[in-house]
Amino acid sequence: MTGTSAPLALTAHLAWLSSISFGGIPTVLPYVRDFVVVTHGWMTDQDFANCFALAQSIPGPNMILMMSFIGWKVWGVPGAIASAFATFGPPCILYFVAWRLWHRFRAAPWQRVVRGGLVPVTVGLVIAGGAVMARAADADWRAAAVTVVAALLMWRRWLNPSCILLAGGVLGGLGLL
Amino acid sequence: MGDRLRQEGVSLPCTRVAREPGTKRPQVEPCAQIESLSAAAPVTFASLFFAFLQVSLFGAGGGIVWAYRIAVEQRRWLAEEEFTDILSLCQFMPGPNVVGIAVCVGARLRGAAGAIAAVAGFVLVPGITGFCLGIFLLQYAHIVVLQHILGGVSAAASGLLIAAGIRMLKPHRNRWWAWVTAALAFAGVAFTKLPLLPVLFGVALLGIAGTMIARPRPQ
Repeated sequence: MTGTSAPLALTAHLAWLSSISFGGIPTVLPYVRDFVVVTHGWMTDQDFANCFALAQSIPGPNMILMMSFIGWKVWGVPGAIASAFATFGPPCILYFVAWRLWHRFRAAPWQRVVRGGLVPVTVGLVIAGGAVMARAADADWRAAAVTVVAALLMWRRWLNPSCILLAGGVLGGLGLL
Repeated sequence: MGDRLRQEGVSLPCTRVAREPGTKRPQVEPCAQIESLSAAAPVTFASLFFAFLQVSLFGAGGGIVWAYRIAVEQRRWLAEEEFTDILSLCQFMPGPNVVGIAVCVGARLRGAAGAIAAVAGFVLVPGITGFCLGIFLLQYAHIVVLQHILGGVSAAASGLLIAAGIRMLKPHRNRWWAWVTAALAFAGVAFTKLPLLPVLFGVALLGIAGTMIARPRPQ
């Protein structure tokens, strides 16, 4: 689609974002969208929402899949592979190092303080990730209602997440949204 | 299983358990090779690979649940408490959280090579098949029906993310400071144009400072 600088920029940016995606890749989704939709215009909001929906509905490592779809849009199969590795490679190394340190000091009192301070941040970021995706996906009040009901069903554990996604797909497919 | 083991005071065959003064929990140190709880033989790389392949394929929308079910309940590799510890580490490390669980469980059982086996199981096969299926479907993304289906899934999936976030707050729901921190982080990302890092570290420092001040005095 573009020269070699675009895939390199995307890979480097994804590697950076995945290294600071505290609380999981969904927390940096707004920034991925900014980069590929707003800053560079590699895809539309609709494309981005499609990648998200597909990645969520295909069994497998969802966020890695989503980034590989984005990479594929920008630079074909090599872009997909580079994006996938950029998404899980740097965090893997960080996880491994952190696990060793964490395990060594697992009884230390400071760990409880750090956990107590950081988990709420994670919570806020995950919810914001969901809210930003909802803003991209929810064209009208009916889609917004699906988002709210899905959140409620998932929160109360009333329905298996796969069933919720399936129900969303069926409602959309029937033209009700 | 984990509960029962803990109640009976069974220690893993290859861990040193030492109770340090001033700590409530015994300090468990890993040895070079940790053996499985259920069998005497060490966990093989192949079984790590296939266990996380299973987590990856079943875990659409909720991989953490499946990682727990397989690693703790079915294969009995870890005590429940240990899994919770790994999970809380992964919750606030950067990256895909379930990949983090794969790294930690693999590293816990078989060191660095075990971590690689677990991550490969999680990513390789489901990644390739999912990618092929995905780009096949993306070719047809302009078809109206498929677009509506994807729109519906997208709306529902956003809801799942929001709910996952809310559920993570549950262990901290009695601390008002946790609510403030979560709300600030949410607002910082959703309503301001600030870059991520200042939001992240600013709110994280606030969260830790608040926890230090507001936390009940330890015994």
